[in-house]
Amino acid sequence: MRTKLVEISGLTKSFDDVEVLKDIHLYINENEFVTLLGPSGCGKTTLLRLIAGFEYADAGVITFDGRVLEELPPNKRAINTVFQKYALFPHLNVYENIAFGLKMKKMPKEDINKEVTSVLKLVKLEGFEGRNIKTLSGGQQQRVAIARAVVNKPKLLLLDEPLGALDLKLRQEMQYELKEMQRALGISFVFVTHDQEEALTMSDTVVVMNDGIIQQIGTPIDIYNEPENRFTANFIGESNIIDGVMHKDFLVEFEGVMFECVDEGFDQLENVDIVIRPEDIELKIDAGKINGVVDAITFKGVHYEIIVMVNDKEYIIHSTDPKEVGDKVSLHFEPEDIHVMVKSNA
Amino acid sequence: MRRLRIITLPYLVWMVVLVLVPTLLILLLSVTNLDIYNIGPFSFVTEGFEELTKPLVITAMKNSVRLSLLATLICFLIGYPTAYFLANLKTSKKTMLITLFILPVWSNMLLRIIAWETLFFPNSILNMFGISLNLIGTDVAILIGMTSMYLPFMTLPLYSVLEKMDHSLIEASKDLGASNMQTFLKVTLPLSLSGVVSGVIMTLLPSMTAFALPERLSGGKTLLIGNIIEDYFMKTSNINGGAMISIALMVVIIVLFMVVVHFDKEGETLI
Repeated sequence: MRTKLVEISGLTKSFDDVEVLKDIHLYINENEFVTLLGPSGCGKTTLLRLIAGFEYADAGVITFDGRVLEELPPNKRAINTVFQKYALFPHLNVYENIAFGLKMKKMPKEDINKEVTSVLKLVKLEGFEGRNIKTLSGGQQQRVAIARAVVNKPKLLLLDEPLGALDLKLRQEMQYELKEMQRALGISFVFVTHDQEEALTMSDTVVVMNDGIIQQIGTPIDIYNEPENRFTANFIGESNIIDGVMHKDFLVEFEGVMFECVDEGFDQLENVDIVIRPEDIELKIDAGKINGVVDAITFKGVHYEIIVMVNDKEYIIHSTDPKEVGDKVSLHFEPEDIHVMVKSNA
Repeated sequence: MRRLRIITLPYLVWMVVLVLVPTLLILLLSVTNLDIYNIGPFSFVTEGFEELTKPLVITAMKNSVRLSLLATLICFLIGYPTAYFLANLKTSKKTMLITLFILPVWSNMLLRIIAWETLFFPNSILNMFGISLNLIGTDVAILIGMTSMYLPFMTLPLYSVLEKMDHSLIEASKDLGASNMQTFLKVTLPLSLSGVVSGVIMTLLPSMTAFALPERLSGGKTLLIGNIIEDYFMKTSNINGGAMISIALMVVIIVLFMVVVHFDKEGETLI
């Protein structure tokens, strides 16, 4: 059983009468990589700023390491932040930026030297001590920002979309490095992003948020394979969301056909949303339970994205096997590929 | 580059005709016997330098340096907190408040000086409230006058640099364990240095060269270097002496600015 580092309960926050966080309940374990994932304006950054201490909640409590956080100003919290645009001090060089927090703690000069040197090694920026911040590339600035935060040995590191400004290749590299760093340091990370791939790649736990409400908390695999509602299914990867009716446990009807499934616990004849991932559908030329016509096909690199019209509805299918527009096809999938969710009002 | 030259032409003409040529003329006047009655052949003379050793001139120069540095310091001490407060306001009334600060500059300066003068006399409208200031002729009167004239010029550059400052830098500083005071000293102040330099220059320059203000508010008791130069040119018609003192004043100002600019590593200010 892992110990809880942060516990958030009933957190509510409004700006100018707009509720950006509504009754948030969440806990973060020690040594856990948690990602807050959601579209812009979903409240994820506000939640991060509340933990950092830059905002104060209207209601609710955050405890950190057994203490109520509201009583501590940001400079007294064993929490450090990597800011979205890095917020490096332009009047200080790389060394002075990284040493800033340690100087505030009145650490002896030799110890500061040692710490800065070792953290520069960690972020692979040895020899950059005397460089002016303005002469660094985006990726290097980002590493300095991380170094400046982790050198203080916080128990919790908050990262506010730190990879947003980097190009794709560098971003993927940094995703891997951040995850490695979190393992090496043995501290908890709270990572804010709107990039679902980033969230799935790095996290131990993903917190999906929308409209100030937590939609789902789970491991990347849970979130992807068992989305709890229409929002999560749509936001994480591409999905086909279909209206269906649950007839009884393990039996669902959609597109006028009965299917075996692996879900249970719904009311009899309850209206549900069905999610089938594009890569779980197989297309065959012969007739089957669901039949349609290929409407469009796009080459995506690894796979083709094929749009099939079934009863005037679009289905997205990812397949390595190309089809021609106008081909009559049938859709096939296994019972475990059918994900049944409680109907959302959308 | 060529296009740039054409659009800078009006400014170049302006600078040459109204700044460079007059400055060269003053320089020429200061070391020659040329004057209104002698615009023909001239010879170089050294008498001008003797003007600089006169006790009256030295006293006036000292007064000017002392009072303008003091006025600049007072303007900074009032202007910085004001600019900081205004820059951190979150209300929509910000623009209105800034306008209120600039508003005095829109009225004639001489008029404002005379307004202060009438208040500083022993007999003024303030007698109505049982107050008699009787400040004319004191350093306090001149300092109040200078501060009220030049405070907006100190506040505005500070405001603009503080307003543009990335607020996340302040948050980053606190995040790294700095208290409010440490954040101000280690982050806010160093980053607003360019505004400080601008403000100091904008305040120091007019204070050093002021002559109407000390004339009205000192009652003739405190002479500033501006008054001396005015006297040389307008009253005693000692054009060469006046020119020499003007050059000396210019040198003093340049030295003061070099000290100020020394602190401005970024070079983001006016000069």
